[in-house]
Amino acid sequence: MILIVGGEASGKRTYAEGLGYSRKQMADAVLNDCPVLFHLERLVAENWEHAEELLEPLLKKEVVICNEVGSGVIPANRPDRKAREATGRLCILLAREADSVVRMVCGIPMVLK
Amino acid sequence: MMILLTGGSACGKSSYGERLCASQPGPRYYIASMKPYGIDGAEKVARHRRLRQGKGFETIERYTDLASLILPEKGCALLECICNLTANEMFDEEGNIDDPYDRVLSGVQALRKQCDTLVVITNEVGAEDGSAYDEGTREYMRILGAINLALAREADTVLELVCGIPIVRKGDLPKL
Repeated sequence: MILIVGGEASGKRTYAEGLGYSRKQMADAVLNDCPVLFHLERLVAENWEHAEELLEPLLKKEVVICNEVGSGVIPANRPDRKAREATGRLCILLAREADSVVRMVCGIPMVLK
Repeated sequence: MMILLTGGSACGKSSYGERLCASQPGPRYYIASMKPYGIDGAEKVARHRRLRQGKGFETIERYTDLASLILPEKGCALLECICNLTANEMFDEEGNIDDPYDRVLSGVQALRKQCDTLVVITNEVGAEDGSAYDEGTREYMRILGAINLALAREADTVLELVCGIPIVRKGDLPKL
């Protein structure tokens, strides 16, 4: 599994296309048969209390794409705050198991693992 | 030796900082700057306590005025975190706002003199459009940014944590 993280519109899906995946193979915040999942942060936000249950199905994906959501001001309301935390923690677990971790900045990939 | 750890929320700064300190000779001090407000605060404190358990840290709670803190002995300290310390020094209960830049930096300098190794944790809060926030919050983002710049200048090593993985921004990756 390859984990791709980065800010909004930083080139994450374009990078995945470069790996050979079409947009049709990319699922938007939903677990289905597609080899690529993007907007992981939205999937987590739907059910942040059980974010860790996503780990196992996500590890079966070929590519997981997540927006980095932790580097702004801490949100004032609890669900937003908890979802943001859960996204970060889940990404740490995914990164630990991933074959490769890539972070996008201005469309430029930085290989972290 | 001063090591600055930065990154967003929940990127693995605390556990990396604890591992760094655990690799150093003691005594080890954990300087907690977060006032545990509400249920979130209590959860966070409980989580950090659990993570630190068995790693030989003496916890010192210090919400403001770091400059006058005297450590019992010279050793290794983990200061967590600059974002809370800055907020505590900046806003009072009546809603007054004061520039805490000098107090935060002099506090870190005073602590550093008492440590063989000082690990400082801060937070990235500026990676978004801040225009929707009130003036106090925008001022906080500016001041915390300025403090982070100054701390990075003074630090021997600066690491950014992303998904638990350290990226070297200054100096060398510490051996763990």
